[in-house]
Order: sequence, then structure tokens, then C-alpha cells
Amino acid sequence: MTLFQFFLFPFIASALLFFSLHLKKRVLKAIAFLFSLVPLAVQVTSGTAFLGMEYDVPWLATLSIHFHLVVDNLSLVFLYIVNAIVPISILASQSQRIYRANFFYGFILLLQGLCLGFFTSRDLVCFTFFFEAMLLPLYFLINSWGGPERQKASFTFILYMIAGSVLMVAAVLSLYVSGNTFDIDTLATVAEKLPYAPLLCAIFLLAFLVKTPIFPFHAWLPDAYCQAPLSGTILLSAVLSKAGIYGILRVTYALYPTLMVQMGGLIFAFAVAGMLYGAFAAWGQTDFKKLIAYSSLSHVNFVLAGLFVFNPMAESGAILQAVNHSITITGLFLVAAWLEDRLDTTQFGRSYGLASYMPNLAWLSLFFVLSAVALPGLNNFVSEVMLLYGVFIENPYFAAILGTTVVLSILYMLRFMHQIYFETPSPFQANWQDITRKEKLIALPLVALIIWLGIYPGPLLHQIAPATRLETSK
Amino acid sequence: MTLTDILALSPLLILAACALVLLLVAAFWPEKQRLPTALMLTGLLASLYCACLGYVSTNPLLTPWLVFDSLNSYFAILFIAIGIATTLTSGPFFKRFEASQEEYYFFLLSALFGLLLISSANDFLTLFLGLETLSIALYVLCGYMKKWNLSSEAAFKYFLLGSISTAFLLFGIALVYGATGTTRFDLLSKITAQLAGQEKLLFLSGIAFVSFGLLFKAAIVPFHIWAPDVYAGAPNPVTAFMAVGTKAGAFAALIRLFLLTFKGVDPLWHQVIAFLVYPTLIFANFVAMRQVELRRFFAYSGISHAGFLLIPLAAGGHDAGPSMLFYLVVYTLATLGSFAILSFVDDTSEGVQLKDLKGLFHTSPMLASIFTLCLLTLGGIPPTIGFFAKFYLLKVAFSAGYYGLVIVGLLTTILSAFYYLRIAAVMFAEPSHVEKQVTRSIPASLSGVIAFSSLIILSFYPEPMLHLFTSIFK
Repeated sequence: MTLFQFFLFPFIASALLFFSLHLKKRVLKAIAFLFSLVPLAVQVTSGTAFLGMEYDVPWLATLSIHFHLVVDNLSLVFLYIVNAIVPISILASQSQRIYRANFFYGFILLLQGLCLGFFTSRDLVCFTFFFEAMLLPLYFLINSWGGPERQKASFTFILYMIAGSVLMVAAVLSLYVSGNTFDIDTLATVAEKLPYAPLLCAIFLLAFLVKTPIFPFHAWLPDAYCQAPLSGTILLSAVLSKAGIYGILRVTYALYPTLMVQMGGLIFAFAVAGMLYGAFAAWGQTDFKKLIAYSSLSHVNFVLAGLFVFNPMAESGAILQAVNHSITITGLFLVAAWLEDRLDTTQFGRSYGLASYMPNLAWLSLFFVLSAVALPGLNNFVSEVMLLYGVFIENPYFAAILGTTVVLSILYMLRFMHQIYFETPSPFQANWQDITRKEKLIALPLVALIIWLGIYPGPLLHQIAPATRLETSK
Repeated sequence: MTLTDILALSPLLILAACALVLLLVAAFWPEKQRLPTALMLTGLLASLYCACLGYVSTNPLLTPWLVFDSLNSYFAILFIAIGIATTLTSGPFFKRFEASQEEYYFFLLSALFGLLLISSANDFLTLFLGLETLSIALYVLCGYMKKWNLSSEAAFKYFLLGSISTAFLLFGIALVYGATGTTRFDLLSKITAQLAGQEKLLFLSGIAFVSFGLLFKAAIVPFHIWAPDVYAGAPNPVTAFMAVGTKAGAFAALIRLFLLTFKGVDPLWHQVIAFLVYPTLIFANFVAMRQVELRRFFAYSGISHAGFLLIPLAAGGHDAGPSMLFYLVVYTLATLGSFAILSFVDDTSEGVQLKDLKGLFHTSPMLASIFTLCLLTLGGIPPTIGFFAKFYLLKVAFSAGYYGLVIVGLLTTILSAFYYLRIAAVMFAEPSHVEKQVTRSIPASLSGVIAFSSLIILSFYPEPMLHLFTSIFK
């Protein structure tokens, strides 16, 4: 299988789904799930051969745009995230409640295809194209299948995104006019010497940081996360936020290494502000879905802070933390959605002590919560220690500030556990059933990944290490 | 006259003959319902075939008046395709409203004849003849539904304002003739470079008036006042024809005059055109956001697209032509696709209101999907080809150093994303209780499906078309 076929497969799958109007919802879900597993299967079975694959053809030769895809270590890590999370998000969807399910699954597969393109493309125009194209399936997922406030949430989401990245086209054109190519690797050698370099770097950073999102640009996040259907929430938090992080590593790190260091302090400050803001906002929530949304904001800003201290160890830690955040946040949103199904609300304080009625759900929630608060032996512990160690080398005080996030996350996460699952149990209600076997099976791969990355992160770090060295040596 | 001459003229001749035959049909077999449409389509297809053959005449009786080059063939094919799409879109209109088809098709063919004359003009007089044939036919078509109040008002407004603009155009032609002593384009292109002093002043004033006349047809702010009322009042298929036909006709004339004949006429002209882009883009996009009637909405969105098309005209350079042709194709396909879908739900003289589309996705998912793709293309949102169409225009502007135009163009796409997505969101919302009757029509569906599939194919592989357009301007 060439890289092009690998890239094309989800598009064909989504086109097939779009046109299968008359299949049963369960069948559609099964088909979509199998289709979405194919890229992961290809990635796993082709092993080392997958790394370094390349596909380069002129796409719009008149505009000197190349369709240039390369899989390097950095791409590989993010491709694993996409290909592992998308099948889980499909499995997690509640197919019986979804009308026109073929479009729903079609959009998810379309998103997967666009992500594969985004995380591998090396032509700046293709990169921009996929970066913006990814918004559209997510917009439709929120807008058509989301909660009661979905129209407003999806509009805020897409307008923020477009406004953030619209000037990127101008930046790309400016690079082309002065550098005479759209190739990222070629531009990397000259970009800093071209005119308007600081401005262009700022434009790129803005686009990526709005998507991640960093602190002052996060206004779209709580609504979008809470109004989206479960699959959409998972994709937003686990995949889309990583697109911003990947963009920073792929484009701004490569094109503007020295400028980034100059701007780093400012962005580090925003990231720290976002981290604390997210943590305190999560602490103040009375709605557990919002709490998880804000905790995601806090954690993503923690990753960004790690990226902007420019220490190789912190950078490896940040990339690993990005992977871990995807896994953990998926688990958290899953248990939150299952809890919402049973309680019919996302508010705290209506019912207590659910652990006695739904022990399995309680243990599963606790497991994901412990992963989020970086319990030693679970995935986040490794990456947070690496990240903090890297920051400590550069500046011990910064490490101390960043360290507070660990304490804060324990505070708000355990408050959530305490209020819902423990305390004196409320009287039993009929729909308080424990999680089914199907739900356990959906959670199983996440649990396995969390334990594996917590105990033996070696193989993944092995992939990340060359990616960081490559990016920082430039 | 040799056979080649006749073949070279045949697209025009066939249209004229077909128009006359239709009038005879109206007199002799008025009761045959399907005959006019069949005749019309046969004539158009024959004309399209002849236009594709692309015969070139060198007859000295023809060449002073008409030019036979690849640009002309391109426009002839585009115009006839517009004619075919309009004919197909008229299907549901005649199903719903009581009106005679033969005269309608006669005027449509006359308008097409005018368009073809415009694109093949090699003399100001032929150009004027073409513009007048187009306009007079359109004045009648606008008021074709005699009993609709809005229609009569629209036709009268269009007629009055159109005549004024024609007067300006004629005055401009007279001034150019006064300065140079000729109205032939091939001679003018040689003479204008040598003009100096008073003659140059006279010539430039003439050019200014000619531009005014043409920009009026293209509906550029501040010459756009007629467009919203006329679009809203005219019958649906006529609005479709005006939205793409008149616009393409005006730009055909502008390309012929200012990219080929008066190449680099005067830097001042380019500055004025660049200056017009700002109000056009800003005004049209802001006003379009508030429209709830779709024909009026398409008037404003059309004005904003005309603003985009002005950008390469202002910038000039060897890529300006191809980028405009490409944008015109994409705009035409997407607009015709949209109007094909609108014709399904258009059942009053008041036009289609935004709320009529509510829940269209639930009742007819395929119609809604086609419409959505067309809207996204118009909005230039990736992964549709609209993104690259805009990208190409902006690249031309950036290469010529018109940074302001690029920035305004990009920022206004935020607004356009808002209003195009708003329509899509309405279609995806829950259906209202009052079911809107959808007129099923095979011809209109055909038109929609052709637009849809061409847009999809173009999105994946636009290179052959781009290559063709570049070769036209070599």
C-alpha cells in the first residue's frame, strides 16, 4: 500500500457512506468502524516500512503546488493518535439516536482522511488546505447532531477557527513570493531571512494557537465541547487540539527557530495563564462535562508551555503529553457521556454515591481521573515528569509554577469523583444501571494504552526522540 | 464565404436560427408542451458542439468585426453551458407557473446570442451590439411574469438604469473613437501606446466611461444598485441566468479590453479598479449577512464575487487572465447548482425565503447536500475547489504587490463563511411543521447533479483546466 492509497482510503470510505442512504444504523456503524480501523491496521502491520514513506506529485502545477506527503517520526506519532481515536469515537456514538447516520459516519471518516493529509503534508498550501478543511466535518457534526445549543456553539467554533487561520493564506503567499516555493523543508532554510518574518511567524502561531486553543482564544471551547455529540467531543479534544500542536512543531519550529525563541516567553506566559485559568474554571464548575472541558484546556496549555521553553527533554515530554492527553481525555469524555445517559443531566449535586449502584462505571471513571492527575504508573506521569524536568533545567521557578497544575488537577478531579460517586447514596432510580459489556469493551483499549504507556513508554519515546532532535537542531 | 467561415460562425448562427424556429413553433403548435424545451436543448447542444470544434475564419469580411481565438471558444462554451443549465432549471418553473415557454426561450436565446457576440467582439460596435442584445432580452425576461408586481418593478428599474449605463458606454466609445480614429480592437492595441497629450486624455476619459458601462453590468459597488431588486424580482431561472451570464459577459468584455487590447493601459486605471474592490467586497459581504430572501442574497453574494474577480484585473500580469477564467468557471458551476436546487422549492412570486429551506436535509438529503457543496464552494471553504479559485486570485494580487487587496479579500471570507454556512445550518436544522412542497423535476435535478459532480471532480483534480486556461493567454 502506498502512502497515497493510505491517504485516499478514508475518502473513498466516506463517499461510500454518504451514498448509502438506506442501510440500517447498526450496519452503518459497523461498516464505518471497520473502515476507520483500516489505516491503523496498515500502520501497525507495515511496521518500520511505514516510516519514511513519501508521495510527491505535482497537484496544481500551474500554481506550483505539490501534493507532497511524508511520514517522519513526528507525523507517525500524530497519525497513531488519529487512527486510534477515530475508531473509538465511532464506537462511542449512540447510533440509535443519530438520524441520517450515514452522513454522520461519513463526516467522521472524511475528517480522518483530512487528518491523515494534514499530519503528513509537506507542501505549505496542502498543509493550509487540510488545516482549514478539517473544520468542516467537525462543524457539521456539531451543527447537525449536537445538543440543544448546537447552532450557536458550531457557529462560534467555526468563526473562531476561520478568523484565526484566514490570514495564514496571506502568510503562505508571502513566503511563496519571496521564497519561490511552497515546500516546507526548502523554506525552512531561508524563511527567517525573508521579509516580514516576525509578522508571518505571528500569523502562523495565531492560527495554530487558536485551534489548540491557548488562553485568550478559548471562548469557543466550552460550548463546542459540551454541545457536540460524544464522537464530536472526542474528535475535538483528542484530534483537533493536536492539529494546533503539530502545526507549531511542523511549521513554526521548522521555519522560524530563532524567532520562536524570541517570542517564546510571551507565549509561555499565555500558556501558563491558560493552564491556571483552565484549572480554576474547572474547579468552579457545577457541570461535570464543562469541568472536563476546562480540564482539557488546562492540560493542553500545559503541553504548550512545555513546547515554549525550548528544551529537548521538555519538548519530548510535551509531545508524549499530547499523546497521553488524547487518550485520557477520550476516556474522560466517554465516562462523562455514559454518566449523563444514566443521570439525564450533567449537573453535580442532584444525586450522590453512585458508586454503590454503578461500581464498574465508578472504577472506570476513577481510573481515567487518576490517569489525568498523573498517578505514577499511568501514562501522564511519565510525560509530566519529563516535561517538568525539562522546564526545571531551563528555569526552576517556571517548573514550580507548572507543577501547581498537578495539584490543581487533583483538586478538581477528585471533587468530581467525590460529588458524583461517593458521599451518602441517593435513593436508587431505575435507569442507574452499571455499564454494559459493550461499554467496557470500548474503554478497554484506552485502559490498556494508559497502563502500557505508564509502565513501558519506551517504544513511543523511541519514536518521539528523533522527531524532537530533528526539530530542535534546525 | 467558405464552409470554414460558416462553421466558425455556426455557434451564433445556430442560436439565431433556433430562436426563430421557436417563434414559428409558438405560432403553429402552441399546445405541444415538451417541444420547445426539446428544440431549445437540441439547438444549444448543436451550438455547443460547433463551439467545441473551434473553427477559425480568416475571411476579411469577418475579422474586422469578430475575433476567433481560444479565449472566444472558452467563453462561447461557458455561455452555451450556462444556457443549457438555465433551460434545465426552467423545468420546474413552467411546471408551477402558467406562462408560455416559446417566447421565454426565444428571449433566452437572444440573450445568449448577445453574450457570444460580446466574447467574440473585435470592435467596439460589435461589443455594443452584443451588450444591447443581451440587455434588451433581459429587460423583457425580468418582467416576463406580467402579473407579478415585483417583476414589473424589477424590469422597469433594470431598463431605466441599464439605459443610462448604455449611454455612458456609448459616450465612452465615441471619445475613444475621437482620440484614435478607430473602434477596432486590433488597431487600438497598436495605437494606444503612442498616444500623448490631449489625445491621451480624451482616450483615457473614453476608457473611464466604457469601464463604467461594463462595471455596471458586472454590478460593482457603487454601480450595483440595480442588482438586488432586479435579482429578487425576476423569475428564478432568469435570476440564475443573470447571476452567471451577465456577470461572465461583463468580465469577458473586461478581459478582452483590459487584459488583451489595452494591456497596461495606464497605471491610474489599475489603481481605480483596485480602489473599487474595497467597497465592493466590504459592502456586499456585510449586507449579504442580513438577507433572508435567497434571490436577493445571491445578488449580494454575486456582487462580492464580482469584487473578487476585479482583483486580478487590478493586479494585471500574465496569471491574471487564467485566474479569472478559473474563478468564473467555479463561480458559474456553484451558482447554477444552487439555483437548480432553489427551483425545487420556489413556488411563489416572492422568491424563496431562508425559512422555506428549514429542514431540507431531512426531507430531501440529496438536494441539501448538493446545495451545501455549492454554498461551501462559493464561500471558498476547503476542501472545495472554491478555496483554490480564491487562492489563485490572491496569489496574482500578492505577486503584483497588492497586499491590501489580499488582506481585505481574506478578511471578508470570514463574513462570507458566516452567511453561506448559515444557509447550510438552516437546512440541517429540524424541519418545521409546515411541510414545504418540493417540485420534483428531472431536468433541474440533472443540472444540479452535473454541477455537483463537476465541482467534486474539480476539487480533486483541477490541473488540466488550469493548464488549459494558462495556454489561452500564452
